[in-house]
Amino acid sequence: MVSSGPVLRVENLHKNFGGVQALGGVDLEVEKGEFRAIIGPNGAGKSTFFNTLTGLIRADSGRTLFEGRDITRQSPDTLARLGIARTFQITSVFSDLTALQNLQVALLGYRGATWNPWRSARTIGVERSNQLLHLVGLAEAADLLAGTLAHGDQKRLELAIALAGRPRLLLLDEPTAGMTAGERLESIRLVHRIAGELGLTVVFTEHDMAVVFEVATRISVLHQGHLLAEGTPEAVRNDPQVQQVYLGDAVIDAERDDPEGRLA
Amino acid sequence: MRLPLAALLMVCGIAVPLVVSEFWTFIAIEVLVFALYASSFNLLLGYGGMLSFGHAAFFGVGGYATALLVKKGGLSVGLALVGAPLAAAAVATVIGYFCVRRSGIYFAMLTFACQMLLYTIALKASGLTGGDDGITGIRPTGILSNSIAYYYFTLFLVGMALYLMWRLVNSPFGYALRALRTNPGRLRYVGVPVRAHQWVTFVIAGGLAGLAGGLFALSIGSIFPSWLNWTASATPVVMAVLGGLHSFVGPMLGAAVYVILEVVISGHTEYWPLAMGCIILVLVLVLPEGLTGWRSLQARLRPFGGSGGR
Repeated sequence: MVSSGPVLRVENLHKNFGGVQALGGVDLEVEKGEFRAIIGPNGAGKSTFFNTLTGLIRADSGRTLFEGRDITRQSPDTLARLGIARTFQITSVFSDLTALQNLQVALLGYRGATWNPWRSARTIGVERSNQLLHLVGLAEAADLLAGTLAHGDQKRLELAIALAGRPRLLLLDEPTAGMTAGERLESIRLVHRIAGELGLTVVFTEHDMAVVFEVATRISVLHQGHLLAEGTPEAVRNDPQVQQVYLGDAVIDAERDDPEGRLA
Repeated sequence: MRLPLAALLMVCGIAVPLVVSEFWTFIAIEVLVFALYASSFNLLLGYGGMLSFGHAAFFGVGGYATALLVKKGGLSVGLALVGAPLAAAAVATVIGYFCVRRSGIYFAMLTFACQMLLYTIALKASGLTGGDDGITGIRPTGILSNSIAYYYFTLFLVGMALYLMWRLVNSPFGYALRALRTNPGRLRYVGVPVRAHQWVTFVIAGGLAGLAGGLFALSIGSIFPSWLNWTASATPVVMAVLGGLHSFVGPMLGAAVYVILEVVISGHTEYWPLAMGCIILVLVLVLPEGLTGWRSLQARLRPFGGSGGR
């Protein structure tokens, strides 16, 4: 691994869906320790871009490099074992398992240890799982079924699941979706604090500009499958092209309360 | 399943032929065989969330493999029974390769189609399988021709197989399997190759069903193509649901209740499927989680139902 190069490098990524262009040649570089936001109006290609990064969708052309290694054609499970973790826009946990078991499964999975058919799994990784639950503030919920947890707690559990494999790159798809305005900032600050402590590189998509400007170190703006602008939050906020796409600077004001979390 | 329960089941299993008639010993063999069969089905559905409409394929393949190895291969019963799970697992390897590429109803339809393919082979390849007449006269010889001895032989093999399955469902593999049932999409993103796990589970479940099929063929001394017909695949489904999915002992209990009810009711009326249908209807409505899910019934009966769990 080249330690000095970017953690994530995307080169000329293309994706069409039945003739409709979703990604028209996206280039992106994310340095270690960044907290990178990917924003853009609905239909800008954020989801496609995200799903291409995580191996769910195969790009038509272009390359993705993780720590200098070509990961363009890797499956999601390989990417996870390589050190790329993700969370989902719609919270995704193992609802029939306890919070503790959720993390035990995750630990086993990232280590590629799920092929053992003999050893009792009950006590494997309990200590580390409890540490992770503690880290996200769910220590009390260890033995509760994940499906019975409140939505915010499930989000935090999902974060812990993502962190279980000690990822070096964390991808968050709409991390504050479905939350109230108050919960959103609290939630993203938790992620921000933990990512800082662990030295993680984070790439996230987000609708809520207040959330974006709270934590992003750099922002990439997607528009109609192309990268429209990229830079520091300040530079992006003052970019006339970006303002035009978002129908005026009032909408992109970080102070504005946007209860729907939708800007388009 | 806790240790005392396992010990109790073991003691009951050992005591059965000592306290019941030879007829009921024969029925007890059937209970054991179907307990394994239903449990192997539950490994797919209850643990892995894969609803197979074609599980009888592997029961049948195990039965035919045993019958052919004894009849045409001239092998001893013991060796022929090694062939049963191996043959069924081999067939499951091929069928599973295709089936796990789809999920839900499409997975079910693929398993169904593969089973009908095997049914047709069993029916038409009469040079090998005896066609419609099946293969008869495959009773074990020597000490195993004694039904009590064969009972203990079956008890040992089924006990071993269930123990291995118990280890499996509580192992890291088993944990991944439970997570897979709940959320296969998420599981891929924690580094688990989901399809490969489904495939291996399919092969193991097929192999265990094959062992059950082999044991049953030797027990009744014959095998017919109808074992591979699609209606035969309903049996493990009904047993597993009756006893309770998501429970390790549920399908065993379901198999015992099903087999014994069949014997008792068909002794009184030829319309036993009707009676069975009514019983299943009531059970599913009253106890949707099966016989082992009685706690959820208790919880529902309580006005502010507490923590009725699985």
